[in-house]
Amino acid sequence: MKRLNKIFIAFLFALLPMMAMAQIDGEVIKPRPGKFLLQNATVVTITKGVLNNTSVLVEDGKIKEVGTNISADGAEVIDCSGKFIYPGMIDGGTKLGLVEVSSVQETVDYAEIGNFSPNMQALTAVNPNSVAIPVTRVSGVTTVLTYPSGGLFPGTAALINLNGYTPDQMYAGFKGIVMNFPSSGRRGRYDRRSDEDIKKANEKALKEANELWDKAKSYGALTEDGAELDYYPEMAQLAKATTGELPLLIEVNTAADIQAAIKWVEGKGAKVIFTGVSEGWRVADEIAKAGIPVVTGPIQALPTRESDRYDTPYANAGKMAKAGVKVAIRTDGQENVRNLPFFAAFAAAYGMGKEEAWKAVTINPAEIFGLGDQYGSVEAGKIANLIVADGDPFETKTNIMHVFIEGYRMPLSNRQIRLYQEFLERSPGLKVN
Amino acid sequence: MKKPLLYAGVFCIMVSGLFSYTSAQAQSDPTGKKPITDTYAITNATVFTSPGQAGVKATVLIKDGLIQGVGSNLTLPKETKTIAGDSLFIYPGFIAGASDVGITRPKDPDRPDDFVSSNPPDEIAGITPWRSAVDQFSIKDSKVDDLRKVGFTVAQITPDGGMIAGKTAIILLGSENSTNLLKENTALAANFRGSRGMYPGTAVGVMAKFREVYDNTKLTSERSQKYSTVAGLKRPEITPTYSAMQEVTSGQIPVMFTTSSELEIRRAINLQKEKGFKLVLTGLEEYEGVLDVIKASGAAVLVKLEIPDDKAIKAMKDDASEEVKALNARVKKAYDDAIAQASKLEEAGIPFAFSTVGVKSGDIMKALQKMIENSLSEEAALAALTTNPASILGLSKVAGSIEKGKMANLILSTDSLFAEDSQIKHVVVDGIIFDYETKPKKKASTGGNSDGSVKIDGNWEYTSESPAGSGTGVLAIQKDGTSYTGTITYDDPSGSGKATAPISNVVLDGSSLSFSFTVTANGMEILVNVTGEVSEGSYDATMSVGEFGSFPFNGTLTPTLIANK
Amino acid sequence: MKKVNYFLAALLGLSIQFASAQVKKGSVLIKNATVLTVTEGTLENSDVLVQDGIIKKVGHNLNAPNGVTTIDATGKYLMPGIIDAHSHLGLDVVNEATSPIVAEVRMKDVVNPYEVGIYRALAGGVTISHAMHGSANVIGGQNATLKHRWGSTDPADIIMQEAPRTIKFALGENPTRVHGRGNGIQPRTRMGVEAILRNGFNEAIQYKKAWTEYNAASSQKGSTAMAPVHNERLQILSDILDGKIIIHCHSYRADEIYMLINVARDFGITKLVFQHTNEGFKVAPEIAEYTMGASVFADWWAYKFEVYYSTAYNAAILTENGAITSINSDDAELIRHLYHEAAKTQRYGGMTDEQALSMITINPAKQLGIADKVGSIEEGKQGDLVIFEGHPLSSYAVPQMTFVDGVKYFDIKEDADDQRMKVSPTEMVEPVMVYGGHDSRCMQDTEHLFETTESLFLLNQ
Repeated sequence: MKRLNKIFIAFLFALLPMMAMAQIDGEVIKPRPGKFLLQNATVVTITKGVLNNTSVLVEDGKIKEVGTNISADGAEVIDCSGKFIYPGMIDGGTKLGLVEVSSVQETVDYAEIGNFSPNMQALTAVNPNSVAIPVTRVSGVTTVLTYPSGGLFPGTAALINLNGYTPDQMYAGFKGIVMNFPSSGRRGRYDRRSDEDIKKANEKALKEANELWDKAKSYGALTEDGAELDYYPEMAQLAKATTGELPLLIEVNTAADIQAAIKWVEGKGAKVIFTGVSEGWRVADEIAKAGIPVVTGPIQALPTRESDRYDTPYANAGKMAKAGVKVAIRTDGQENVRNLPFFAAFAAAYGMGKEEAWKAVTINPAEIFGLGDQYGSVEAGKIANLIVADGDPFETKTNIMHVFIEGYRMPLSNRQIRLYQEFLERSPGLKVN
Repeated sequence: MKKPLLYAGVFCIMVSGLFSYTSAQAQSDPTGKKPITDTYAITNATVFTSPGQAGVKATVLIKDGLIQGVGSNLTLPKETKTIAGDSLFIYPGFIAGASDVGITRPKDPDRPDDFVSSNPPDEIAGITPWRSAVDQFSIKDSKVDDLRKVGFTVAQITPDGGMIAGKTAIILLGSENSTNLLKENTALAANFRGSRGMYPGTAVGVMAKFREVYDNTKLTSERSQKYSTVAGLKRPEITPTYSAMQEVTSGQIPVMFTTSSELEIRRAINLQKEKGFKLVLTGLEEYEGVLDVIKASGAAVLVKLEIPDDKAIKAMKDDASEEVKALNARVKKAYDDAIAQASKLEEAGIPFAFSTVGVKSGDIMKALQKMIENSLSEEAALAALTTNPASILGLSKVAGSIEKGKMANLILSTDSLFAEDSQIKHVVVDGIIFDYETKPKKKASTGGNSDGSVKIDGNWEYTSESPAGSGTGVLAIQKDGTSYTGTITYDDPSGSGKATAPISNVVLDGSSLSFSFTVTANGMEILVNVTGEVSEGSYDATMSVGEFGSFPFNGTLTPTLIANK
Repeated sequence: MKKVNYFLAALLGLSIQFASAQVKKGSVLIKNATVLTVTEGTLENSDVLVQDGIIKKVGHNLNAPNGVTTIDATGKYLMPGIIDAHSHLGLDVVNEATSPIVAEVRMKDVVNPYEVGIYRALAGGVTISHAMHGSANVIGGQNATLKHRWGSTDPADIIMQEAPRTIKFALGENPTRVHGRGNGIQPRTRMGVEAILRNGFNEAIQYKKAWTEYNAASSQKGSTAMAPVHNERLQILSDILDGKIIIHCHSYRADEIYMLINVARDFGITKLVFQHTNEGFKVAPEIAEYTMGASVFADWWAYKFEVYYSTAYNAAILTENGAITSINSDDAELIRHLYHEAAKTQRYGGMTDEQALSMITINPAKQLGIADKVGSIEEGKQGDLVIFEGHPLSSYAVPQMTFVDGVKYFDIKEDADDQRMKVSPTEMVEPVMVYGGHDSRCMQDTEHLFETTESLFLLNQ
């Protein structure tokens, strides 16, 4: 017991920064806005290099200033000497907030009935109180794209910040229509369709996609000309992709499908983003040539083919980046979006390099989602999504000391941490009969 | 297309071997079908008496179903009917080490009201060692003649069923009026297939259950022994399973395990070593890597008489990328290795025979030729079809070669047997001569319609295989003008018994038939598509079940309906 | 008498092992590595000599005996082969899901050495995995401990024959769903799960008694005793009661963990390891006191209701409370980076390097009963080793070479991309699998028990 106490105290000390922000005996620490001066840090701006002994001033939700001689006037000063400031990480594809417990159907809100439902709004179903959200943000992920799935056009994805009490407060300014490009691949070990069946299903789906697209295009054109068409919310929504008003997020994975998708989007006039792209490395040059940006992941995944080298999923993002594709990384996660920094580290270690991997979770997704002027780097004028860490946030040993989202200082606690605090030394302990 | 020789041109017989003249008693025959003699001589043919023997010009004399003599100076009895054999080649009739010829799977018994899936009755769980292939066999099944047509005269028939399906039997592919039975209860047919939705449901459960059945059979024997010699003992519980298993545990008959892959072969051999029973491995498809293990086990080997299809090989394109070429090369190598496997058995000195279970008779000769092209010697091929199975089945004294005193089981071909253009003109079984067309092959017309299209209307009995187990049912197709409608019965996935669904999208294109139906399981509807080829009343198809994948689906047009038409 | 002996042997579970003729043993000298011994600290610039599969010497300036290859590992890290205490790799069948107790089934019967996942695990430094029966039954089948001797075609050659017997148990949602809700038999509740366990063990006691009495009687001259029915299932349960088999129990909720501890204590069972154990942290003192610890996920949670109240700090809490704790994969993907999973305990609970590494080496070795043979770099242990570029607990670590028994089975620089041992001669196009999420197989082979595709995909853990 004594030893345990000693360890516990040593632990408390190590975890002090975290504990300081955590809930203690009923006191609830809430996200708090304010003027904060993060002083004397090493600032990893992503876009403007690494700045030593630099401070960052946060005010009105924005990064007010990045520099060496910033007045602390009226600001809460946080000493960051020896620490690192990074932009908050952006996960380019998740179901965060749309599901609480995967096997409990009643909590699963990402898959609506119907093959053609682009009018389903992910943002509507985001649960701001999902237990997974605070679990995610303590890892330094501040912004995620959350998207619906299932069917050909499952709905409209939305980018959200991981702070806020309503979906609108969380909304980060990007929406895109999701399309599952007809797949010639298998969905897993249970999918034992024959080659012919897959091919047939694929052709049928592609035909359907074309028909829907053409209809939506006509719908958009006629409406634009002032036609009063019947209420048709699905067409009205997809029409926005045909006019380029909303980007089209095309989920596509096998090499053959990627090639087909590149051909498919040609001349369609849509703003296209490819997502998934597991076999992007096989056709990286073609993706680069088409100029289509990519959100890829999960990085920690199995190779798509038995004959593939074991590390192809780790190396995929790097290979595409090297070929000139603009690459963002996603976890494709729900409850474990917190692993985004580790996915990025794997991509970095298997060929992408740290610098490019950082871009893939910050400025690249920001730019891909058309928000490069607001997110993705530590620059004056941008939204204050920041993390302060005592080392490289991609390393598990590193502690994330502070997280700011839209200028709010976030409590670094969540249910998992509170359970730790309660049970590390349970009382009563072992009851001996 | 075949008819007993003596009545050629008189009776065009649809069904094979209608004649029984083994009766010793003379009697009248108002049908006129009775042959006038059962003594034949095939004169001056090229005779290959057994594997490895060169062909010699000789006459073969047959009487009472036996070979009475082979030679050039035979004295022929007066009642001899002579057949000029000058242009013919004579070989010993083939013997199938295992076959499903003429076998119809018995209906599964209904589940009792108190059925508990974790402890089902043996009969429902596929443990039916008391069943005999004889009870599932019909000589009138059209497949009997299909197999005889390629030279088979004797087969060890295996019952269709679960993990312990029952006892095999050795039969002649002979007269319709004979039982054709040579030997009953020759082996216990077993496999690693679990039962659908009950214990044991998987290979791992099957192995455990097999051990349990085996051990308790031995214990039951001991108890019975004691009970019969000592008074005052509690009556031992004797079940049909234990009774029927005793021939195995006492070493009287072997267990014939269906083992298609190397891992299954190893599993069967491990069980053999553990329990000490005699083992026959049957249905081998992939075995090159375990030749030493097989040899060391001393198990008899029955290779599946089939070669892998070459669709994948044919689909390869020359302009493929380097990556694809490398992958193709591996598929090609796998294919080449697969067709050369039989020669590796020969090289390893393992005598083997063949199983025709699940094999289409029409493909057999091609498979043999392919094996011979790939280093299997003709001698070994012939041995695998004659002397080896005779030895494995304990028939060496009566069959397997052309010798005086052996059964008159012969193949009469137009050329050296395995030559590409060689055709089988007559097959002699048990002294009865079956006659086959040797004209240039034309598309089989059995079951065809007058307009040349394939006939599909009627009742098809089908079996389907899936990871959940095998299913059976009836596919009933009716012709409706130029289109087809029908229904299908299948194992109800949400309970016991059968469910029925209408079929739709029935498309017949040449000989390829496809249709769909919907399975309803607990409110969820799963679309099932079936596509395949119809040939001579059999339907070899693939069934795709939603996202679960594709599985084999095989149907047979029920013979009774053929007769009705 | 001979017959009786035969049955005694069978009943005692002494089924004859038809083991492997020849398991490859290798020799290698790895020089100038940072050696993470796990049990004896970190040795800078040190050499490790493996001869005939066994670590002969750990030290400085070692010379390679004649014919032994030397590998220069300057600047690299050397750690013991990683051990995964929960895996389903290399198995043709995972679940015999048809009865609440299937103790008689043996995963050793269905080991498949051809699965490419074994190579992929080696590429992540994993040399030993615990190939477990699935979690559909309260008492599942007997597991197999595998050594990843990739390239072996005989299943016996990848089975670690010297490892003790282990068996799978499972509590909570999976068995109650499969049997209670799926098949309408007990258990449908956690009450039923306990009853199945107690019934089973009590029946096993009666069974053993019947045989003991019979054996005693039949050794008397002129005995008229009749042998009882042989029941392998009860025999195995009896072996568990006799301490011959280690239980590895799939469990999530604290209450069910506590229940099994009580059952075990009532029946005098001490060889008990909890698997998954997501709420183990709530009963960490009890796990520490009465069991061989817990084998957990680093951070998986919320995929089903019974893991909703989880914490990634679970491993740290268990460790700090003195429970032997390991990190496992239960997954063909996760097994490829267990070193990284272990590293997560440094973020979630501040584990030291040694504590974190122990969770994938010596601790799982203890839980599998093989800690005297593997799990650390010590002279006399088996030569299962991994060379890393970068510290294995760094997120940037890349395994370079993996050795089992001193034989190199993975080399990042030399290995061919296509590692398949078997290729279908008839498959036109190699299937392209687009994996969504985890590839866990705990519930594999129970497909037919569920009605819809969806429930099947969701029931993976």
